[in-house]
Amino acid sequence: MEVKRSFAAMAALAMVLGFARQSALAEDQEPPHPPGESTQVYSDPWAPFNEKMFSFNLKLDHYVLHPVAKGYAAVAPVIVRESVGRFFNNVNFIPRVANNLFQLRFPQAGDELLRFGINTTLGIAGVFDPADRWFGIKPNPNDLGLTFGHYGISPGPYLVLPFLGPFTVRDAIGSAGDQAMWPLPYFVPWYVSIPTDAGKGVIEAVNYRSLHLDLFEDVDRYAVDLYGAVEDGYMQKRAAELKALD
Amino acid sequence: MKFGVSDKSRIVFASLFVGVLTMISAPGAVARADDSAMSAVQSMVNQAVKILADQATPQATRASQLRDLIAPSFDFAAMSRSALGYHWKSLNPAQRADFTQTFTGFIEAAYGSKIGDYHGQQVNFIKQTSLGNGYFQVFSQIVQPGGKAPVPVNYLVEQKDGQWKVYDVTVDDISIIANYRTQFNRVINENGFDKLLADLKAKQQQLNQTKSG
Repeated sequence: MEVKRSFAAMAALAMVLGFARQSALAEDQEPPHPPGESTQVYSDPWAPFNEKMFSFNLKLDHYVLHPVAKGYAAVAPVIVRESVGRFFNNVNFIPRVANNLFQLRFPQAGDELLRFGINTTLGIAGVFDPADRWFGIKPNPNDLGLTFGHYGISPGPYLVLPFLGPFTVRDAIGSAGDQAMWPLPYFVPWYVSIPTDAGKGVIEAVNYRSLHLDLFEDVDRYAVDLYGAVEDGYMQKRAAELKALD
Repeated sequence: MKFGVSDKSRIVFASLFVGVLTMISAPGAVARADDSAMSAVQSMVNQAVKILADQATPQATRASQLRDLIAPSFDFAAMSRSALGYHWKSLNPAQRADFTQTFTGFIEAAYGSKIGDYHGQQVNFIKQTSLGNGYFQVFSQIVQPGGKAPVPVNYLVEQKDGQWKVYDVTVDDISIIANYRTQFNRVINENGFDKLLADLKAKQQQLNQTKSG
């Protein structure tokens, strides 16, 4: 008898509570939000440092990199500059092979090796890309930052480095690791490899910039906060690249 | 030929079968409208491409044609709320309305100013997927000249009042609204909401100037 009564009491209580909750929801319930809307924005704990570095990089680009790239673009035809880009892309194959291997993506690692072999020979030192054009072997970009992410290491704070640009801590360490796979320093003394690699980096940067001359202008035109636009673009792109590996 | 009983029952059975088939495919007609989100977006984009490609019409006219085309297909209210993220809750209705109006004008100015950039690129629609709760993602690609990789452009849509409306666009896997959410969050945190409104209005003016210039 008592059990029945307490059940009834509980049932009544539940009904009352249920109704109360429903009406509370009805009062301040907003229509369902699109997915992703309640995503946290990035915390950016190192913002003061990052903003200074971002500002420095912008000035470096405005006063040095962009003018040089523009001059280079004026004398070198697009075809030449695209070939230079392909040359460097080909030469930088080791981190792609290694990271595809680390992530146990064996067909992709094999493809990257194959692409290097074909493009270095048939593609004349990587200046052309017959591996893709003739054989349909598509590139499989990959890097150590993505490997870390693949194995569950969280990105860490946003970090802007002078000259080098935006990173997360994970990506910065990954980038350093990938850089360590560049073979030259292991075969020649440091006073040869350091200037050579510095020169290589500069040429790559100028060449890339010359193929994307309006990059910053376009972003700037549509942004009310350029730093935030670049930060968000970087973080979204990396998240998408990591997701694409699944 | 005389119809025997077996023939008649076969005819009856056949017509029943057809009837049942029709009944099954009637909800199937709704199920086949599985690509209705994609069709709606595709139709809008094709019309937009026609306007963009119409070099004979002056740019200002084309801009307003685009605006009329896009207004019913884009859910600017949802985009505005999404772009403010958690800041939306702390705004009063007047501020929300002001922001929605300003942000809408800004987006229209931004995409109006891109009219001159269109050089006949082709758009291919690929598929749609469900995100649950009535939200869908429509996948398309802009074909680039010169053998470059196509640019993926995806539309996030939901159905409101029987019409498919876009509430976000991702270009190259980067969500435009999320990008603005990051920017607006920084501006509001550092300089306040009124500064954000002022900045948006200033940018809108700049963009309108480049359009007519």
